[in-house]
Amino acid sequence: MAGVVSVDGLRKRYRSRDPWAVDGVTFALEPGQAFGLLGPNGAGKSTVVKIIAGLLRPDEGKVELFGSDPGNPAARKDLGFAPEDPDFPKFLRAAEVLDYFASLLGLDEQERKRRIPETLEFAGLDKERRQVRQFSKGMKQRLGIAQAILGRPKLLILDEPTADLDPLGRRDVRALIDQLKDSGVAVLLNSHLLSEVELVCDTVAIMAKGRVLKEGTMAEVVPQGKNLEDVFVELVEANAPPRDQLPSFITERNKS
Amino acid sequence: MNGALAIARYTLVELSRRRILLVFFVIGALGILGLGVGLKILYSVVSSNNQGGFAPSNVDPAAFNRFIELAFVSYIFGALGIFGLLIAYGIGMTAIYHDLDSGAAVSIFSKPVSRVAFTSGKIAAALAALLVIMGVLAVEARLVMFLFGGGLENALTGAVLAVIGNTMVVMLLVLALSTWMNNIVAAIAAFIYYNVIAGVISFVHNLTDSGVIGSGIVRTIFDILYWLVPHQLVSSATGDLVRAQVAIQGERGTTAIAGVPPASTTGDVVWWAFVVCVLCGLLYYSVRRREV
Repeated sequence: MAGVVSVDGLRKRYRSRDPWAVDGVTFALEPGQAFGLLGPNGAGKSTVVKIIAGLLRPDEGKVELFGSDPGNPAARKDLGFAPEDPDFPKFLRAAEVLDYFASLLGLDEQERKRRIPETLEFAGLDKERRQVRQFSKGMKQRLGIAQAILGRPKLLILDEPTADLDPLGRRDVRALIDQLKDSGVAVLLNSHLLSEVELVCDTVAIMAKGRVLKEGTMAEVVPQGKNLEDVFVELVEANAPPRDQLPSFITERNKS
Repeated sequence: MNGALAIARYTLVELSRRRILLVFFVIGALGILGLGVGLKILYSVVSSNNQGGFAPSNVDPAAFNRFIELAFVSYIFGALGIFGLLIAYGIGMTAIYHDLDSGAAVSIFSKPVSRVAFTSGKIAAALAALLVIMGVLAVEARLVMFLFGGGLENALTGAVLAVIGNTMVVMLLVLALSTWMNNIVAAIAAFIYYNVIAGVISFVHNLTDSGVIGSGIVRTIFDILYWLVPHQLVSSATGDLVRAQVAIQGERGTTAIAGVPPASTTGDVVWWAFVVCVLCGLLYYSVRRREV
């Protein structure tokens, strides 16, 4: 079966005088695989997923989504993308946002009528009548996940999907990922919550400063007796300049 | 429903819920009504004064009433132009910029929708909103004109078409610029370009054309510049009204005619259509290049 995502030697920077935001990243994603992309803030994870979703253009390297350039709209037909800090047209209601996006996905009216109420119910937004501008961050995140699964994608990209969710919401997202994996959907999870990644991902890549430091199956990346957090901290600290633990004005008060 | 239609439909829903457009529309509607009623009151006061013997001895009361009516129609055209511009700025500043600024574009562009469909849908929604609002204001203006009798319907139609044509250009310019920059900066840049730079060039070009400025060099320069900027469409009604008013005023009003821009020619209309196409292309290019 053809690969879902293929990233080869990807490089990207936002301005010519900036350092590379993504520098030589290579990985592939197969159907039914859950791939965790980890890294500290500014590692380049969101840039990678935005390039895969066709939102940013790579400067160098090759990215294929279902065998095509992600910039081609047809390549994104089977993509579900829940962005970090999702937002939507502010004056629409949740059901209208889903109807809007279902239309963009090319779903006919009958299918929209079937899927939208169920998706809203899954997201816990079925009784919500307010406009998006009045939503909390958690509600927007739920709507972000709802619109991402609406098209029954073959690839689901979740960029920090549980950052603003309560524990129940996080549990729902984990259950969703498990369910999708079982049905052959590839999941690309970009998260700071290492325990969550450890629970749901088969393969991980740890990034820092735009480069992949380590990549492999969970068993390959995490040796026995250690957990993902230990490996992550070791790798990232080994590739980052040392820094003071606390600001001096805090330690001064502790001394006095 | 394809992508462009979905984008147009929900952009219209959004625009209809934005308070800024509602405020501009209400200001426009009240402004036109206030102008009409105010001039009608003035008209009544002047008429009653005439009956009481206060009419200027050299002015026929019927001609004076006609002058007031023409003045009202001139003011209405001016008001429609101003409110049309406000609405064009309101739509242009919000229709695309808010999707980009809020991050909604991230979710939209990750769907299987092309940037052509996105641009087409946004343009269609913006034009539909502009046409509906200007259409309602034009109907209101027509109804207010009944206060002064009738007979100037064609003048109103021509003026409204010219206003819609001009506001379309401004709206497309602001839409394109706001894809690249902050929407307030885009509106200021569009105002400076369209209303100040292009306005001054057209004004000086009119003066050279009518012979008020006789210098050959200035004439050549402004002939070239004139065909590098958008031309504001002008209906023949504007000049007709001024000439009618001048005819009533006699010798006193003749100097006003030189300052009146001539009615747009076929060349101006073709140039307007070309500018609209260029701006649509520029908007598409901006949207296509835009990373979110």
